[in-house]
Amino acid sequence: MRDLFIIVKKEFTELLRDKKTIINSIVLPTLLIPILMFGGIKVTQMIQESNKQKIVKIGLVNAPEDFVQMVENDTLNKVTDYTKVQDFKTLISNDSIQTAVVFPKDWKTRMDSLTSAEVQVFRNGTKDNVNGRVSTLLEAYSSQLKEKRITQLQIPVEKMTPLVQKNVEVGEQKELIGKRIGGFIPYIFILTMWGGCLLAAIDLVTGEKERKTIETTLSLPVSKFSVLMGKAIVASLLGFIPALLNLTGLIIGLNFIEDIPETFKVALTEMLNPQSIVMILLLLIPFSLFLSGLIISLVAGATSFKEAQSKAAPIIILIIIPLVMALMPGIEFTWATVFIPVLNIGLGVKEIMAGTVNIGMYAAMLVSLIAFAMLAIYFSYKKFSDESAILT
Amino acid sequence: MIKINNLTKSFTSKTGKGFKKETVTVNAVNNVSFECKPGRIFSLLGPNGAGKTTTLRMIAGLIKPTSGNAIVDSVDISNGNDEVKKRIGFLTGSTGLYERLNPDETLDFCGKLYRLPETALKERKEYLFEKLGINEFRKKRLGQMSTGMKQKVSIARTLLHDPEVLIFDEPTSGLDVITADSIIDLIRESKANNKTVIFSSHIMSEVDLLCDDLAIISKGNIIFNDSFEQFKKEMKADSLTQEFINRVKEA
Repeated sequence: MRDLFIIVKKEFTELLRDKKTIINSIVLPTLLIPILMFGGIKVTQMIQESNKQKIVKIGLVNAPEDFVQMVENDTLNKVTDYTKVQDFKTLISNDSIQTAVVFPKDWKTRMDSLTSAEVQVFRNGTKDNVNGRVSTLLEAYSSQLKEKRITQLQIPVEKMTPLVQKNVEVGEQKELIGKRIGGFIPYIFILTMWGGCLLAAIDLVTGEKERKTIETTLSLPVSKFSVLMGKAIVASLLGFIPALLNLTGLIIGLNFIEDIPETFKVALTEMLNPQSIVMILLLLIPFSLFLSGLIISLVAGATSFKEAQSKAAPIIILIIIPLVMALMPGIEFTWATVFIPVLNIGLGVKEIMAGTVNIGMYAAMLVSLIAFAMLAIYFSYKKFSDESAILT
Repeated sequence: MIKINNLTKSFTSKTGKGFKKETVTVNAVNNVSFECKPGRIFSLLGPNGAGKTTTLRMIAGLIKPTSGNAIVDSVDISNGNDEVKKRIGFLTGSTGLYERLNPDETLDFCGKLYRLPETALKERKEYLFEKLGINEFRKKRLGQMSTGMKQKVSIARTLLHDPEVLIFDEPTSGLDVITADSIIDLIRESKANNKTVIFSSHIMSEVDLLCDDLAIISKGNIIFNDSFEQFKKEMKADSLTQEFINRVKEA
């Protein structure tokens, strides 16, 4: 145990003196979530603002006077009045107009006789801003006409509204948001953990070989198992710390970034209570050890940093696929998924954040992760003990 | 004292294409026996790939022999590597230094693993730093040092626990003459201190300068094992280098 501590201290000191490690394992993870949150919110706001300011070129055919007035009231709408239907496809594609609204010739008659009429909208489905603005205009105009008819027919409003839908939310806000974004959070955790473990494990194993210090370490009176464990512990710490910093960044972001919707902020703050954080971190400890054991066993035989990266990098697919699956609707945290590494963390964190995790299943997941971590360490030890792999 | 008896090391590798794999076992070292005495310098010579490094790594407890045994300072290497490692100072061309640590931290790390008491570690470190002129750069990271400075730290690391047995595997390879000379001095001093020294090199002038006993290894087998004096007596060629080449070719 004493030797292990000496090795861990030395490896940790060495890694923390490497600028690459500091940036990848400390600076980036701390800033990642606040930047994503702040940047995401700001970019969405900027897009919305910019869309609001954009001029929409609308072509109108047979439009009634009150509708034309309504469109022209918004000074950002540029109206072109056509007397008959044109080749709107060409006009839209050459940007003469962006959309066209065609009313039938007998519009007034139909309205007077209180029947319905079809209004054609020529549009390009990819122009969300233009289509959204035109839909809003038509909906407003339709409501206006409906109100006129109700008044004209002297029908009380309640008679025209036979059904009023009222949702009584029985799920907590925490559960709703937890299930929706809970899958996204481990996605960030696990990818930063993977990055941290990968960089550290390659530096500590292949890097030592490249720097010719592995023989120096092995010539010291310390068991290979202690050397391997020291490296695995430090690699997993360098995976665990970024995940912890991700969480810290998320909490800092929630407290200091403005413009986050209040309901979202309250729900997230409630989700990230000490109990949830402890439960998530407890899962990440064996998981980071599992990742570092796995990476060490893959890179133990590599002779260069490049070779080690090419050996370990493809494993990212095995991490991303279960994480994406965890985000899919219909895939739940059950006794069948509780033992599948990565997928279980993705689903488990979602349940923890929603406050609906089954403690028995959580314990089973933790035990399975510990078992996987031990297995990965066993394999990495086997590879690390391979004399021809390590001392080449 | 080192006593080697029939030491053998086999390496197994898989060769072949696709699903057809063949397992090939090669004896890198084959039934090697020799003895190194305290107060004498034992040279182990051989061409590249002859098995020198493998033999020395087995003695130092870095790799396990397939068969045979070695007694290092009264400890059988098969009884546990750690006890052997405590008795050996191992300096080779491939024992690099931790570039992100400074000499102080490096020696502290090694000393703690050698389980030297804190005061003894401090005293020994100060003695070596003074003797080797490391004090002026003791807080500088090894990655920022010249080859000569690094070599001094390597020597200090090798001697830190005052081992009874010293193994030098091509220690001067790639070094300038001044740095190489410091290693030669160290080897001589170790002999004077009655240490058991094994020295492996390709440079015959160094062998001539230092060697008391000599073994030549070729293709994993010992082809000569006697005193250096005897080797010189039996010489048929004009130079040591030529004699060495002839013996390896004949083997």
